[in-house]
Amino acid sequence: MGSYLIRNFLQRCVLLIVVSMISHAVILLAPGEPSEVDPSNPRMKPEDIAKIRAAFHLDDPLHVQYVYWMRDMVSGELTSFKDGQPVLPKIWSRFLNSLPLFVCATLIVWTLSFPVGIRAAVTRGSLYDRSTTFIAYGLISIPGFFLSYLFILWIVEGFNVPVIGMATFGMQDAHWLYRGMDQLWHLVIPSVMSALAGVAILSRYVRSQMLEVIGQDYIRTARAKGLDPDSVIYRHALRNALLPFVTMFGLMLPGLIGGSVIIEQIFAWPGIGRLGYDAILARDFPVILTINFIAAALTLAGTFLSDILYAVVDPRIRLQ
Amino acid sequence: MNAKRILLIVPLILGAVLIQSYFWVPSYETQARGNPQRLFKFIEASIGDAKILNPILHADTASGRIVDLVFDGLLDYDENLVLRPALAVAWAVSEYVYLLPNPDVRLPGGGTADAANIAAVVSAALATGQWSDLRESVSDVEVMAPMRHVEHIVDSSNDTGRIDDVVLQMPAQVRLSLDRVRPDIGARLRSVLGEDYFRTPQYLQWVVEANGVDSQRLQSHLSEMLPLIQHNPLIVFQLRRGVRFHDGHEFDAGDVKFTYDAIMDPKNLSPRTSDFEPVKAVNVVDRYTVEVVYKRLFSPAVNAWTMGILPEHLLNRSAQELEIERRGLSAVTREAFGLRDSEFNRAPVGTGSFAFVEWQSDEVIQLRANERYWDGAPQFENYYFRILPDPLTQEVEFRTGAIDIYRPEPHQIARYKQESAYQSFSGLGRNYTYIGYNNRKPLFSDPQVRKALSMAINIDDIIHYVLYGEGEAITGPYPKTTPWYDHDIAALGYDPDTALRLLQEAGWQHNADGWLEKDGREFEFNLITNNGNLVRKAVLTIAQDAWRKIGIKCTTQVFEWAVFLKDFINPGAFDAVILGWSMGADADLYQLWHSSESGFGQLNFVGYNNADADNLIERIRREYDTDEQQRLAHRLHRQIAEDQPYTFLYAKSATTVLDKKIAMRNAVGQFVSIPPTKSGDTFYYFNRWRKLEHALQ
Amino acid sequence: MAKHAVESVSPVPEYRAWKTFLDDRLALAGVIVLVLLVFAALAGKFLTDWFVVFDPSVVRLADKFLPPLSVPSEFVAPADIPWFGMYLLGTDELGRDVFARMLQGSMVSLSIGIVAVALAVSIGVTLGGIAGYFGDRRLGFISVDSLIMRFTDVMLCFPTFFLILTVIALLPSSIYNIMIVIGVTGWMGTARFVRAEFLSLREQDFIVSATALGLPNWRIILLHMLPNAMVPVLVSATISVATAILTESALSFLGFGVQPPAATWGNILADGKGFIFDAPWLFFIPGFAILLVVLAFNLVGEGMREAMNPRLRPR
Repeated sequence: MGSYLIRNFLQRCVLLIVVSMISHAVILLAPGEPSEVDPSNPRMKPEDIAKIRAAFHLDDPLHVQYVYWMRDMVSGELTSFKDGQPVLPKIWSRFLNSLPLFVCATLIVWTLSFPVGIRAAVTRGSLYDRSTTFIAYGLISIPGFFLSYLFILWIVEGFNVPVIGMATFGMQDAHWLYRGMDQLWHLVIPSVMSALAGVAILSRYVRSQMLEVIGQDYIRTARAKGLDPDSVIYRHALRNALLPFVTMFGLMLPGLIGGSVIIEQIFAWPGIGRLGYDAILARDFPVILTINFIAAALTLAGTFLSDILYAVVDPRIRLQ
Repeated sequence: MNAKRILLIVPLILGAVLIQSYFWVPSYETQARGNPQRLFKFIEASIGDAKILNPILHADTASGRIVDLVFDGLLDYDENLVLRPALAVAWAVSEYVYLLPNPDVRLPGGGTADAANIAAVVSAALATGQWSDLRESVSDVEVMAPMRHVEHIVDSSNDTGRIDDVVLQMPAQVRLSLDRVRPDIGARLRSVLGEDYFRTPQYLQWVVEANGVDSQRLQSHLSEMLPLIQHNPLIVFQLRRGVRFHDGHEFDAGDVKFTYDAIMDPKNLSPRTSDFEPVKAVNVVDRYTVEVVYKRLFSPAVNAWTMGILPEHLLNRSAQELEIERRGLSAVTREAFGLRDSEFNRAPVGTGSFAFVEWQSDEVIQLRANERYWDGAPQFENYYFRILPDPLTQEVEFRTGAIDIYRPEPHQIARYKQESAYQSFSGLGRNYTYIGYNNRKPLFSDPQVRKALSMAINIDDIIHYVLYGEGEAITGPYPKTTPWYDHDIAALGYDPDTALRLLQEAGWQHNADGWLEKDGREFEFNLITNNGNLVRKAVLTIAQDAWRKIGIKCTTQVFEWAVFLKDFINPGAFDAVILGWSMGADADLYQLWHSSESGFGQLNFVGYNNADADNLIERIRREYDTDEQQRLAHRLHRQIAEDQPYTFLYAKSATTVLDKKIAMRNAVGQFVSIPPTKSGDTFYYFNRWRKLEHALQ
Repeated sequence: MAKHAVESVSPVPEYRAWKTFLDDRLALAGVIVLVLLVFAALAGKFLTDWFVVFDPSVVRLADKFLPPLSVPSEFVAPADIPWFGMYLLGTDELGRDVFARMLQGSMVSLSIGIVAVALAVSIGVTLGGIAGYFGDRRLGFISVDSLIMRFTDVMLCFPTFFLILTVIALLPSSIYNIMIVIGVTGWMGTARFVRAEFLSLREQDFIVSATALGLPNWRIILLHMLPNAMVPVLVSATISVATAILTESALSFLGFGVQPPAATWGNILADGKGFIFDAPWLFFIPGFAILLVVLAFNLVGEGMREAMNPRLRPR
């Protein structure tokens, strides 16, 4: 097991480096210049552009640029083209902003999906089952931003209450209790919006897992024994159906970075997705590359974690 | 069952915790709930972030907004767009007139035209009745000491832009001191000094070192740069005493001089350089008096002093050295270090009504009230400038009370004017849109034809359908809000019949296909505009349609801005074009309308050329008397309206919507609703605004 | 959702699958919607491009922001008056007929979805097939199989949407770039599945005997192996089309979609968002249209998957 882990870990490191090389090459070879060195900017003189290009290493060969990037990133000296601020602290502060959104959305997904999915499985074919199925498909099929704007329209016109941003602007000097509650409120709508599709998918998955387990012989046996149906479902069936979900904790990791561009854009949430989006618009290569790198690292870490978790919870699986 | 219960209760609790937060949040109507300070904050939003918070360097509107609050100019515009005192309590315009000796000619009295003789003749004229009206204004006639003078001559024969220094030993000159500007002094001197004096002198006799510049070029250059009669207008500013920068340092004449020097320092690449190019020198007379000497008559120059004044003590060489030291910059950077590199531009210090607090890039810029502001502390304690790139987000935030001001799109204005929760202000901006005809082309050379083209277009329809009524028709080249615009000039009006008659008088007749034709050529041309402006595109189709109705064949094309400028406007290679101007508050139209400005890449790209107009334009520039300037401007307006080199379409009005609860504190301390201003500047009384808990009835 | 879908499908006798599918009313409704959509797309292409009955590009500035079912004003030139004498779905900020634009956009949106997924499926099937069939050949130090599968792993490491966003933002925006980028980033699931399927098929008797008979590789692959692996791939492709249409609308929302004046449902919706207070129909119409079509694709896809999956069939 230990040697497997080490081998797997090293493999993933190699993979990560390959991924970072490819993304580096793709991004730098694509057409378009960072706005700082855009030759069509009338306020820039060619000499200035040349100077900035040199400072950004833009004229070096690709592999040299890659080495510069890696070196600066590891040493923490990497700075953004746009404002010269160090990239890592910048990403970290934005990450801290995204974190509550992610946590709240995840809580909603995981607490809501199970009761909904289980009940759908237990009452299979009932009106409840069919309507949740239909609603789930609807939530998967609706463009996320369309739904978000519908909600915003409803809340703004119906209640005149702010929904944009991490807090109501202008509350800086309010009582801490009001401030806290205000921040909580600002968390509600975006996290519900980003959770809805997740609830739909996960509850469908819970339902099918439950159906599968309920069809197993030991459940039939438990029922035949005359056990209370609730006890059969929630004690015997649920426990076994839960197993695969443990591994999904690992797969959630990359969602920390990639999943929120649109929601953050709609709600003007100063999180990491928006940082990435702005960096893309400004062709701020250090920021784009670093976010990409972190996302890839999280993906790899996520699958690694899920492999381990699976082995931990399911004694039938041995890692080798 | 336990598990079952947990599965139900957990989401219910989570939901309850999340939902209850709603009851704590302030809504639009209850913005002060749990947050009384909200009434003392003013929150504005912008699509884009500011770039550089420095009055002499900024070029974008977002920076301009902040800079206006943080910095003060020596002068300021009042609500009628007339200059009023700000950091300067008073200013007086006078002038020096320098007379160059012309040793090769003789004066009417028989003496050589050297300094002493010229001074004697002028003094005599003043003493006798000939110049009795000038006696009041001319305070002094002096003979100046001879001096060395260095002239920089740019070599324009090739692209190197080499500058040669030519050294001259100038003879003694005569200086007349006038207590006001007399543009007519040249004409008056003609009668006193005689025609002979005005013959171009031999400049080469004064040249000490030519440095290889050939004599012909030298002579022509010097005759332009060193005219026989040189006007040096002079503005003396009396500065306000006791004004302090936000850091407590007192504002004085040194700061004014420093600001001027900083603008002219080529290292700083200031976009304001051209405004201050006519300045010859800025002299500190005493701590509270500054004297600005100009190279020539150029009355609009005074407007440039509305620009914010920088604090010298934070930006002079020793302060820059300190900053370089503190930031540990490399030797190369140190060498090139200029105002643009200073951290001051991200944390400015001025004398304005609000002091800078914080700037989070792409998020917010925060200012606080300047309690010691010379014009009284603002009512709002905090000012926030939020950056919200999405207009819809801005609107949503405005409707929920997280922004206090919203600038609606034209199609939204009617809706906002109806809603009782908001107050709205409309004002004409200083911009206008026009169709410009290439006056050089034979097709458009006849003013009657251009008039006919204008009359065929129903401008009221354009304003109604394209601008939703948010604009006004204009008749000439000045913004309607300035005193230069002559409201008595009648609009041509929509009159296709007269238009057709005018064209027929000019020899155009309908042919078999229904198109106008003259000498076998149909009336056909190409109308272009730039891409990305929907309103201009709309005007394009409307104009095309209107002209088609009277038999004019017009094709239309839309180009990307860069191509549009490079291939069409700069070389003047177009028939007709839809464009707009954003105007200043002064009366100077030289760059837009003077015939000398119609070359490659210059702004008179339609090639308007009228000697009378040229003359008026030049006189306006030389005229320092505002009333006279206004009369001249009105004549110029009438002249251009008659020539119709453009079809003047409309000036768009800008509408701002404010939270209804914002009111203005009047002189006796009561809150009243904010009055509209003539200049259309909603923020004119901003210092006296406050938000109330409930809207005024 | 598409990924685990592929892996949980296994062959079922055909007639029973059909019966299950036809019993699924939601899936049937989806099929009807899709048939209507294809019809609308073809009609749209025909009536807006070739034989112009509905001209989506006519600008009528006098008739801006008219709600659905309004009648043109008197200022509209007779030639510009829409078919039916009214604006069925209203007009937009330039007075263009929203119905005509939606009709034109239906073809574009549908083709973006289908072409992108077709591209993804062909890349996936090709790479997966090669890895599964020729996997044990070696290229120097590495086998074909590990080469392809490591590459697949690499691709899976990219945060998909962020990658699409980056590439689309850096490339000049065009409908083809969008199709290509969505396709190129969406083939990994198919590749993994086809490889696994090929690996197991290769061991089956009929393939072993075909190989023993000396049939050429291409015959074995195309005639014997692919058809057996294809059905589940198509099921997941149906759902991927839905995802691709959503991705296109999300890109449009972020400003990287197909550029105007070309209309796709995504960019009509993204533009309409700016007028949500003033002309809500510009937002609701494309929004619900996308919802309906994506829902139809999802329902059909899920219906097909249920029909294929013996374990989930009702007892």
